Amino acid sequence: MTTTSTRVIVTGQKSSRRSLLRKERPENLSRPGQRARVRKETLAGYGFLVPWLVGFFGLTIIPMAYSLYLSFTSYNIFSPPKWIGLDNYVRMFTSDPAFIQSAQITLIYVLVGTPITLIAALVVAMLLNYRDKGAGFFRSAFYAPSLIGGSVSVAIVWRAMFSADGPVDNSLSFFGIDLGGWVGNPDLVLPMMILLSVWMFGATMVIFLAGLKQIPKELYEAAEMDGAGPWHRFRAVTIPLLSPVIFFNLLLGLIGAFQVFASAYIISNGSGGPAGMTNFITLYLYKRGFSDGQMGYASAIAWVLLIVVAIIAFVLFRTQKSWVHYSGDNR
Amino acid sequence: MFNRKRALAAVAIATGAAIALAGCAGGSTAEPAATFDPDEEVTLDLAFWGNDVRAELYNEAIAAFNEEYPNITVNATFLAFPEFWEKRQTEAAGGNLPDVMQFDYSYLRQYSENGLLLDLDPYLGEIIETDPLPQNILDIGVVGGVTTGIATSTNAWGMFTNPVLLEQAGVEEFEGGSWEDYTDWMGEVTDGAGGAFWGGGDYTGRIQNFEVQLRAEGSYLFSEDGEPGFDEERLAEFWESGAPIRDGIGIPQQRVEEVAPKGGFDSALTASELTWDNFGAGYLAGLGESYTELGLIAPPITEEGAKDLYLKPSMLHTISANTDHPEAAATLVNFLVNSPESGEIFGTNRGLPASETALAAAELDPLSQQVKDYEASIADRLGDAPPVPIVGYGTLEEKFRQLGTELGFGTVTVDDAVAQFFAEMDVVLNQ
Repeated sequence: MTTTSTRVIVTGQKSSRRSLLRKERPENLSRPGQRARVRKETLAGYGFLVPWLVGFFGLTIIPMAYSLYLSFTSYNIFSPPKWIGLDNYVRMFTSDPAFIQSAQITLIYVLVGTPITLIAALVVAMLLNYRDKGAGFFRSAFYAPSLIGGSVSVAIVWRAMFSADGPVDNSLSFFGIDLGGWVGNPDLVLPMMILLSVWMFGATMVIFLAGLKQIPKELYEAAEMDGAGPWHRFRAVTIPLLSPVIFFNLLLGLIGAFQVFASAYIISNGSGGPAGMTNFITLYLYKRGFSDGQMGYASAIAWVLLIVVAIIAFVLFRTQKSWVHYSGDNR
Repeated sequence: MFNRKRALAAVAIATGAAIALAGCAGGSTAEPAATFDPDEEVTLDLAFWGNDVRAELYNEAIAAFNEEYPNITVNATFLAFPEFWEKRQTEAAGGNLPDVMQFDYSYLRQYSENGLLLDLDPYLGEIIETDPLPQNILDIGVVGGVTTGIATSTNAWGMFTNPVLLEQAGVEEFEGGSWEDYTDWMGEVTDGAGGAFWGGGDYTGRIQNFEVQLRAEGSYLFSEDGEPGFDEERLAEFWESGAPIRDGIGIPQQRVEEVAPKGGFDSALTASELTWDNFGAGYLAGLGESYTELGLIAPPITEEGAKDLYLKPSMLHTISANTDHPEAAATLVNFLVNSPESGEIFGTNRGLPASETALAAAELDPLSQQVKDYEASIADRLGDAPPVPIVGYGTLEEKFRQLGTELGFGTVTVDDAVAQFFAEMDVVLNQ
């Protein structure tokens, strides 16, 4: 938003200068103070923007540009970065199986976890939308995990729950399913991580709920009059009218899932184990950067992550036209 | 109106500039005093890794230090080992390392060669007493001809055994022998345990066991210049030798992952563990009150009569190169290393005290006495310590451990693991 206002000021200045040179000169002559005043206002505008600009450049743009530079270097924090061209990127895709594995499990986590989270959130939101009595309590109850879900304590509790002889193992054994502990099992730890992310669907659910409340009741009544069953009403009324909210949640969910870090760090004690199955891309780049002191390589991984996320967001925006319906849209 | 706007603009710009400049203030360093003035009010930061038990000991030691030097305030902070080094890395990059640090051997070269640690030579024999420290101990902290660290204590590679589990399994203590004998012995324990626990873990997951074997063959892990003393074939042979342990004799990798951050041994799931000999106290604490003693014996033998073991500093003390108070910091280091009070308070928590005055004052509990006796018993096998570990040794050690766990899970073959380790070595050694 602030970027827009900056641009407004700049264009305002340009156009006034242009107008000064061209036809509107008489008007300007009639108000000699205007030009000076515009410049003063511009100056004041920039002045007020300075704290934000310092933050924007100092904390966002410059570090990002620097990390882009570092991604082409070998940098161990201690000695100055050494330019090595594309070596970091080449290494990532040709001689680092740990990176390939990390990218794979991150993609599985994102592509499996996000849709399940969205569906679970939508189902619960619709249930809460029907019943009014006690809905406030249930809304809070379902939202609670997202408030505490990212926290250290929850990850520790999950670790304990899914250990061998933990509550989950014991309950499953009771039903004759003997899986043992999930935390130490390379095949089960990723499903467990996905479950943890699905469990934190509260924020998504609340947004869905708000979206559902916006859908006019008349539409359902009209559909019912026309003989539409519950499934058809859902398909033909709820989904299209909710599509902007679904789009929003999908985008945020995907981006958020790519950045999973804290839960994996705690559940694996920072190792990314067992057998690298919780070594998500952010954890991997953190370990490369801060434990191994390979900052250049870590920066390169960060940029690959950024590019992948950007591509996915771009593709999503492009598909928007075919399935997202904004109100007032005639399509 | 006109004036007010100009004033507003000025205020806005000034505020912005002030915020921008605030971050750049500071950074000037005071000229160090020639000798330590006990009346000067000084505050020092001290950082160490460890747990609550060690933190309590440090607090006692600092209190004792303050009785002698009331004007030096010591702010101590501690973290677990991996986090400790992550924090130091960022501090090193920002040029604000703590004044005094507990330090690990594997990082000494990296920090020394980058000029982050204070040259201690001017203080040796002056503020830092050298009489109680044997020359081979002093040599440990020398990198490139400059002393940057003082070893607090030493340890050696050894093997702990769990007497309670051995009795349950009905197996005698390992009486020594080759690595194959050790594997067979672990198998007996596992058979006797009936699934409740295991004889041990896959020792090929630890680079130190590889080093012991290489040293016995007259080779080494890495030379001073960072050349490896082994080839792909030798590493593959080593990892292959752990196959029977991974296939049933040893604790399954999954169980190890579940008890982390503890290990199999201190969770009473394995009856033996090869590690540094100062780990005993931590193991006893982890095993709980029903344990009062552990077995501590020499590692298996690769070649008869070889000098495959060595004394390593379990930790050192270093001073940041940009400390404002080098004399006060050196005084604190001397106290922590040499003073009888420090020896009495720490005992063998940090390893067997390297300083004779500290060792003499240390009241050795049975376990500490056992460590001391153990180090005397392996005197025949103790050779020269390898050079200060190469830069990036910590990364390679961790990679080795990680590949060991993947071998345990069976998610990687020995040949692939060897290829991966050599690829990592290539990156680290050419950095």
